[in-house]
Amino acid sequence: MVDSPTLTKKFQKELNAGIASLVLLSVLSNSEEPMYGYQIAKLLDDYSGEASFMKQGALYPVLRQLESSGLLRSTVEPSVSGPPRRYYEITAEGKETLLVWQGVWKQMKSFVDKAIKGA
Amino acid sequence: MIKSIEEYLDQLKNELKDSDTATVQDALADAEEHLRTALANSKQEQPETSEEEALNQVIEQYGSPDETASAYKEVERLTHPSLVRENQRSDSMLVRFFAIFADPRAWGALLYMLIAFVNGIVYFTWAVTGLSLSISLAIFIFGLPFAILFLLSVRGLALLEGRIVEALLGVRMPRRQMFSYQGGKWLERLKMLLTDKNNWKMLFYMFCQLPFGTLYFVLIVTLVSLSLSFMVSPIIEGFVRQGVVGVVIGNLRYFPPPILYPLLVIFGFLLLTASMHLFKWIGQLHGKYAKMFLVTD
Repeated sequence: MVDSPTLTKKFQKELNAGIASLVLLSVLSNSEEPMYGYQIAKLLDDYSGEASFMKQGALYPVLRQLESSGLLRSTVEPSVSGPPRRYYEITAEGKETLLVWQGVWKQMKSFVDKAIKGA
Repeated sequence: MIKSIEEYLDQLKNELKDSDTATVQDALADAEEHLRTALANSKQEQPETSEEEALNQVIEQYGSPDETASAYKEVERLTHPSLVRENQRSDSMLVRFFAIFADPRAWGALLYMLIAFVNGIVYFTWAVTGLSLSISLAIFIFGLPFAILFLLSVRGLALLEGRIVEALLGVRMPRRQMFSYQGGKWLERLKMLLTDKNNWKMLFYMFCQLPFGTLYFVLIVTLVSLSLSFMVSPIIEGFVRQGVVGVVIGNLRYFPPPILYPLLVIFGFLLLTASMHLFKWIGQLHGKYAKMFLVTD
């Protein structure tokens, strides 16, 4: 069989690349308050259950990138224990973008489902 | 086995040594924040596990240094420059005028205009030789494949020129070779190539690149040397006192009084700055022109 763990890993990574932005925007849009990286990672761990989809470390560069495109904004606040934390929250532009992306995701999902089922 | 957060950060820094310093700084800050918070939490939840074990659990979830490094590199690679917001310019006109020296577009245009001179000669020679040989060899049987090869080479050169234009002038140009008809007889292929107006546009561009390249070169040499001599000659005059600063028109020699020297230096610098703006503007114009002629409709 050709399928090796590396191929699956690569596939997973390629899938994550696009989905991570959508997931992070959604999480921050659903949250009332700004969240910091570890909080988000913990929440996503709860969502994914046993299966781990991506390493927590891979979330941070995506957060940074979303911020530099203006979809998120962040503030650094000192914490009681440990280093200062960077809190992220969604911007108005981010909310608009998220709506569009959710539409894209729905279409994509039904498209892929149909392709897998073959109907 | 990583024993401390500091060790992890060191390894991460090492993995990212080829990346942008801003990225490295971001990655280290993110990792430190996460690892410290996660470690503190796991100590609270499971006080019985040793520090080292807890840290390795945390790292297992966060990703090893090389995994984390590749995540940052990947995002950096995928981020399209247009997605990154340009800093809002609230600078005054004056600051913007002099900021041209920090503008990569202006330097790119300057470099392109210098290269265009050499490229122009090559393109022109290639186009003239190819075209005249194609026509004169047409009476022979091997004239046919020769003409086809020449016309295909024009496309190749157009692609190459497009890459240079994109790299230096920042105009998005084709990254793939244009589709060319593969099957059919030689005569049919030649007919297709001859009737394709894109080929003629590219050929025209190659011809015109020589006069343009020459013009650009003359412009750069004249403006840069003129402004540099304005800036430097009063200073040299101070050392040699040989009448370096002066204008000679026929038999008339005019030497400005030394009190004007600072003004000459300032004028030279202003001329150089204005020239950079001119180069940037020409570069943008040339980019549009190249796009019109080198990109197929």
